[in-house]
Amino acid sequence: MRVAPECLSAERLAGAIALGEATDAERGRYRAHLARCARCLDQLGGEREIERVMITVAHARDDERWEPRLAGARAARRGVRAAGIATAVAALLVLVVAVSWGERPKTPTHLRAPLSAAESRALAALDTQTFAAPAGRAESLTVGASTISASLRVTVDGRGVPLRCTIAKSSGDRALDAAICRAALHARVPSAATGR
Amino acid sequence: MKSDVEACRGLDATALAQSRAESLVLAYQTKIARFLRRMVGDAEVALDLTQDVFLSAYRLLAADPRRELTPGWLYRAATNAGISHLRRKKILRILPLDREVDRPCASLRTWRVDEQSVASVDLQAALARLNADQAAALLLTSYAGYSSSEAAGILGTTADAVRQRVCRAMRTLRSTMREGTE
Repeated sequence: MRVAPECLSAERLAGAIALGEATDAERGRYRAHLARCARCLDQLGGEREIERVMITVAHARDDERWEPRLAGARAARRGVRAAGIATAVAALLVLVVAVSWGERPKTPTHLRAPLSAAESRALAALDTQTFAAPAGRAESLTVGASTISASLRVTVDGRGVPLRCTIAKSSGDRALDAAICRAALHARVPSAATGR
Repeated sequence: MKSDVEACRGLDATALAQSRAESLVLAYQTKIARFLRRMVGDAEVALDLTQDVFLSAYRLLAADPRRELTPGWLYRAATNAGISHLRRKKILRILPLDREVDRPCASLRTWRVDEQSVASVDLQAALARLNADQAAALLLTSYAGYSSSEAAGILGTTADAVRQRVCRAMRTLRSTMREGTE
């Protein structure tokens, strides 16, 4: 809505009256404007009305009893912040435990059965077990349970004792190939002794 | 490497800055905090903003311990902090998660409890309806006691503009009081 320039001027005069800064001449001009502008009379009010409203502000200022305690507020906020950090850390721990529990590799069914002595020896020879054999699980084998295959050729003597091992088809990992061969060299092949 | 004399000078400057910052805090923390509380309508926010104001003052003094920081500077910093907060709040008001205490009617309840003053309640309800510039002009003049030209210097505007903002703030205050009595 467009306000007439005289009304804008009256607003400034009313502001001056409200702040107690208006001169007698300015008060006279304001009164003269109100006498011919009903809108300003309604919206701004006369001098007494302006002063009455401004007294409210003065009373509110004088009634102010709030004593700010900056140090207390800072300590309280620090407490809140510390509690927040503790909660965040706790939540993070819970999350990490939950994620690691969820991602914990499931032991394949074929490994859940107790291992035979030969299997245990073979697995021990791989040197990749992450915890002691008595637990009965070769957890390391279950990490990323994807299948890795390799072909090897093992030469055995008449007693079934492996003499030589060569990799016919690599698993893709030299260390794994070597470990497979080491395991194979530790194995015994009784069928070779019996001729079966 | 700093010489001993330079180190002592640095120490003196730091001590001087701290001492001047402490005097400022002791002399003006209540006034600035009350001013900001009226402006933003929330005691906790006012305390936060007050701290920001004095932190800025301390940084300036730490950089130049001889610098003159007037009460006007503090009120200017407080006004700018209050205006920034109110503008941010205005943007956040479109979100449904607005804090209860920041709403005008809630602010009425809050202030009635701790001040027991009808005048105070009316003022706070009216301030909640004002735009930031009008609230700043009204509080700097009627609450902090600055003249319109001094407030104009703080707000970076003219005395006439301050008077006009005071008038518009007063108009809102008047209509709020009218609603209260009806």
